[in-house]
Amino acid sequence: MEWLQQFLPFSWDRLSVWMGVICTLAIYSILYRENPFYRFFEHLYIGLAAGYSLGPLLVDIIHKYWIDPLLHGEWPWVFVVPFGLYLYFIYSERYGWLSRIIIGILIGASAGLFFQEFASRYLPQLNSTLSKPLWLTSANPNLVISNVINNWIFIVFLLAVLTYFTFSFEHRGPVKRVATAGRWFLMIGLGAMFGNTVMARMALLIGRIYYLLSDWLGISIGGG
Amino acid sequence: MQEMRPLTVWERMLAIDRRWLYLTLFVSIIVFLLLPVRLPAVISPPVRKFYDAIERLQPGDIVMVSSNWSASTIAENQPQLEAVLRHLMRKKVRFTLMSVEAQSRDISLRLANRLAKEFGYEYGKDWVHFGFYTDLIVAIKGMTNDLPATVKQDVKGTPASQLEVLKGVKSLKDYKMVIDVTPSSTVPYWISYRPKNLIVLYCPTSVMAAEAYTFLDSGQIEGMITGAKGAQEYEQLLGIVGLGTRFINGIQFSHVLIILTILLGNLALFMQRLSREA
Repeated sequence: MEWLQQFLPFSWDRLSVWMGVICTLAIYSILYRENPFYRFFEHLYIGLAAGYSLGPLLVDIIHKYWIDPLLHGEWPWVFVVPFGLYLYFIYSERYGWLSRIIIGILIGASAGLFFQEFASRYLPQLNSTLSKPLWLTSANPNLVISNVINNWIFIVFLLAVLTYFTFSFEHRGPVKRVATAGRWFLMIGLGAMFGNTVMARMALLIGRIYYLLSDWLGISIGGG
Repeated sequence: MQEMRPLTVWERMLAIDRRWLYLTLFVSIIVFLLLPVRLPAVISPPVRKFYDAIERLQPGDIVMVSSNWSASTIAENQPQLEAVLRHLMRKKVRFTLMSVEAQSRDISLRLANRLAKEFGYEYGKDWVHFGFYTDLIVAIKGMTNDLPATVKQDVKGTPASQLEVLKGVKSLKDYKMVIDVTPSSTVPYWISYRPKNLIVLYCPTSVMAAEAYTFLDSGQIEGMITGAKGAQEYEQLLGIVGLGTRFINGIQFSHVLIILTILLGNLALFMQRLSREA
């Protein structure tokens, strides 16, 4: 009887677990067939996620970075939100030009940031690719043969894939063969990505089943 | 009236209702989760590098943990965050949490609170949560220039100047590393806009991991824990049994089942074509 009392939703904690179980089963019911139970909980999920994000947005952003400074006498902040709301003039034919001020600022900032991002993101990759040692030399005493083979595989795959994406001239003869190899290498890469996607989806399903077994039914998992 | 030809075994196999496959998968995962065995992990180089990077930290060093996941990826990101926070607390490292995902603000706060009690970590002194940020680039750039002015206050409303954990911290440059636990593509922002002395460690979901190998190869990120599988490897290095270890039976055997069904399906299709041609 004690087990039953702990199992049934007689406390807030248990009630939340039961709610989680009902939501989980409702969402997975789509696997059997389309049904209103699933539809209701799907909308509930979307609504909850949207509503939930409003709380942190109000507390951590609007209050912290706007209302609080205003209350502490930093009055220039008063212009920020109305200025941002100019964006909504995009719906007005007469005052649409006001929205372009905000859009211009946003595009300018994004473009500026992108320069920094491009340099920090891609140049080190380019540098790493160009500086890969392809021979065993005395200048690189830590280099072993497996590293060299790995680097050669990397360079061959890279050049083949780049050849596949060269559209400036027609692929003929040896170039066509290299481009075809590049396409196969891409397929291998995409296959690895797909394998990882399957693993991710399985992990999410396992997470839910774990919740049903462990949190709801109180069963010990994976040997305790 | 023409008599119906009986279906061959291959045709019957191809006509199986997919719902039977779902049920088989569901039941097999339950069985494999309940198995009282723990499969050992082979530690992959990115996980080993991740572990070694945290091992090199000294007590009192400060680390930024960027937790950006929601309930939808809890099965992959929670085991990662839990294992990483445990390691940081073992090393007596100070850490600060932040989120660019609204749900993660509370999920990571709750998780860190639970672990902090276990390790005797004091909120405000040893760790703190900065809360939710809508724009990661703005947050990183602001924190790189002046961290207390950007953060202003923690999730409990304590001003940054009064947080003991931030003693001596003026900007992100004073941090040793950032650990990004995320199902989204947030790590390129950390790579691009962080101070260059900041080491980047990455905990993506399995879906995101393949794209990150370029960053690993170029040294832009130093280590990576891939999904729940990576978390299992990390738990093994830490010598603990966490969610990654508990999930791994289900993950491994469900993959075997999927590979088997793909092979059987293709074999059935091939045999059906052969019998038609004959």
